[in-house]
Amino acid sequence: MTVGRKAASGAPAGAPERRLADIPAAAWLAVVLVAAALVMTIARGPVAVGQTTLNGLVAAGYFSLGAVGLTLVFGTLRIINFAHGDLLTLGAYLTFGISALGLPFWPAAALAIVLTALIAFALDRIIWEPMRRARTSTLQLFLVAIGLAMVIRYSIQFFAGSQVRAVGQDVLSSLSVGPFHLGTLQALVLVVGVAAVALVGVALAFTRFGKQIRALADNMALAEISGIDTLRAVRLIWLVAGGLAGLAGVLYAAAIGSVNPNFGFFILLSLFTAAVLGGIGNAYGALAGGLVIGLAQEWSTLFFNARWKPVVGFAILIVILLIMPRGIFGVGRARS
Amino acid sequence: MTRRYFFLAAGAAVALAFGFSAAEAADPVSVTIGKLLELTGPLSENGPSQDKAVTIAIDYANQAAAAAGVPVKATAVSADAQGDPQAALSAARALVAKGASAIIGPSITPESIAIANGLTIQKKITLWPVGTSMRLRTIKDEGTIFRTVPPDSLQAYALKTALIDKLGDAKGKLLSIAYRNEPYGEGLSKDLTAAWTAKGGKVQGPVVFDPAQATFDSEAQQVVDNNPDAYVVIDYPDTFAKFGAALVRTGKYDATKLVVPDALAFSTVPTNIPPQALEGARGTRGGSDVSTEAYKLFDQLWQKAGGVEHFALDANSFDSATLVILAAAAAHSPDPAAIAAKIHDITKPGATKYSPTNLGEALKAVWGGQPIDYVGVAGAFEFAANGDPTISRFDIYEYKSGKLNVIKQIDAAK
Repeated sequence: MTVGRKAASGAPAGAPERRLADIPAAAWLAVVLVAAALVMTIARGPVAVGQTTLNGLVAAGYFSLGAVGLTLVFGTLRIINFAHGDLLTLGAYLTFGISALGLPFWPAAALAIVLTALIAFALDRIIWEPMRRARTSTLQLFLVAIGLAMVIRYSIQFFAGSQVRAVGQDVLSSLSVGPFHLGTLQALVLVVGVAAVALVGVALAFTRFGKQIRALADNMALAEISGIDTLRAVRLIWLVAGGLAGLAGVLYAAAIGSVNPNFGFFILLSLFTAAVLGGIGNAYGALAGGLVIGLAQEWSTLFFNARWKPVVGFAILIVILLIMPRGIFGVGRARS
Repeated sequence: MTRRYFFLAAGAAVALAFGFSAAEAADPVSVTIGKLLELTGPLSENGPSQDKAVTIAIDYANQAAAAAGVPVKATAVSADAQGDPQAALSAARALVAKGASAIIGPSITPESIAIANGLTIQKKITLWPVGTSMRLRTIKDEGTIFRTVPPDSLQAYALKTALIDKLGDAKGKLLSIAYRNEPYGEGLSKDLTAAWTAKGGKVQGPVVFDPAQATFDSEAQQVVDNNPDAYVVIDYPDTFAKFGAALVRTGKYDATKLVVPDALAFSTVPTNIPPQALEGARGTRGGSDVSTEAYKLFDQLWQKAGGVEHFALDANSFDSATLVILAAAAAHSPDPAAIAAKIHDITKPGATKYSPTNLGEALKAVWGGQPIDYVGVAGAFEFAANGDPTISRFDIYEYKSGKLNVIKQIDAAK
């Protein structure tokens, strides 16, 4: 877990790496993205680039918000939580369920987010905690997560049906500045996404719980010996990760307007990509990864047919991991 | 009566009695039709109407056969194709395990290809897909795939006609095309591009999008860029719910410039699709001449059965089921290969024409071994060698206040 620390710390000797590592990852990323935007503006004009940049930021909002819980769980507990996408779906469908009882959408969404957090917490008590005690390996945990993902997805299908559901929010309203347009709900996702990532990052860096979680992520046994209540910290992680998944699911569903029980699973690969690209285990990495994937995919439509958009995201993942095996925010630790 | 006449009369009576008993002794043909429906997945809107169409075809044919004294009885088994090739293949296997001699459906061409390659070609089971893509004809189906639905090569013609109707002329007019990354969109876009440019029109795109992607705004922007004279979006309802919203958000979108194909033909626009995305848009879908007696009868059966409203290609599914029952009667057998071998005999150009209004007589004729030309609710089929109809009727419709209104019918022929 590298949250709240300078990613470059502890970089080994080596001239090219040292030069790279001396630049903070965030600054480095900003320079590359701005330079890319400028080059594209020359090639394609400011309006087209500006609009695709906005669209890319929206996609980044979806990916970052979804990826932050995923990366938090992996960074601390080493669980590749394949069920995370389905927790997003659960958040959205719980909102539908509560709305059906007569509550307006947004209060229902708030309640659904809390419920998703509690379900993630309960799943820890029922599944993950016994597995931790039994010292289950990462591969087995991964397989359990796949199974859990299917249980959640098909349970949703069983109770709610598999048809497409309209969320009922106004997906047509948009904010316009000059030639640029941005959906109101999309803007909301973007703002909430950035805020949530920043909040998690700050909380991990500066609060007592944050410090405990970081200690636990580095070495759980040592953290326990040091007197940290690791059980409480782990449960908090699941509550936060579950709540973030619920929040991401509700906002994503509201912004795209209609969903089916597979939507969380479909977006999961992009969330993994964002988390890995940013540097898995790093909250700001989720934001950086989401930003790179979102912008690169949307910018690619200026030069290639949109059918290549998903390919671009994964090609960038491969290229960046070749250069920085631990992702953008893990640059200095590549060979540590 | 002389002795000679007595023996002649006795002989005739014995022969007659023998003949009757032989007819009565003929084994009744019990044919099971598999309904492979899109009950879930991206085309789940059309599953219930296809289900109903096949059910009323079977009930009606059973009544007609019983009234005509033809010992044929059809039953149905059904399964959900789920919009997924693997799931559709599993569902088709389940139908065959339950005794299906022919399969009506599925609606998505990659599903049909998976089923044909994995099951029906080998077992000589006729498959009657509702999917219209020409990609289906890239496989060697050994005469097992028949479509009563118009293939997209004909729909491209219909789309071109709808566009010219709207714009007056193709010459110099810019058409922007977008499609969901599926064989349906790819084939239709290719044929439409060829038809439009051949008439002197210009084409922008096609913009191709993946159904699982998180946002569609950049793609929507590309569709409306350069203020085209018309847009054609070839999509399924679940994606269009998102793509349509993205089009409206561009601020430059004019729904009255939109023309859509049959997958976006709805009696009433579903609630998940923003109404502004389709209001005033036009479209094409396989249609039936609603003035015929056959269509009136079909509509009467449809209304009597209650349940879902008419949906695109329901008449075609009714005809597919009827053709399977006629072929089983002609073959005196529910054997899948025997049914496949008789399809051309019951849609034979030049033979006596029959329609659903005199289905009992048609069953009697084919039971007696006569070739016939069955003209269905959706029109005559006269299958080409590849099993596709050579002529099809299309509705050109327009959305007004969220409802589909047919404004014209055209015949598209190869």
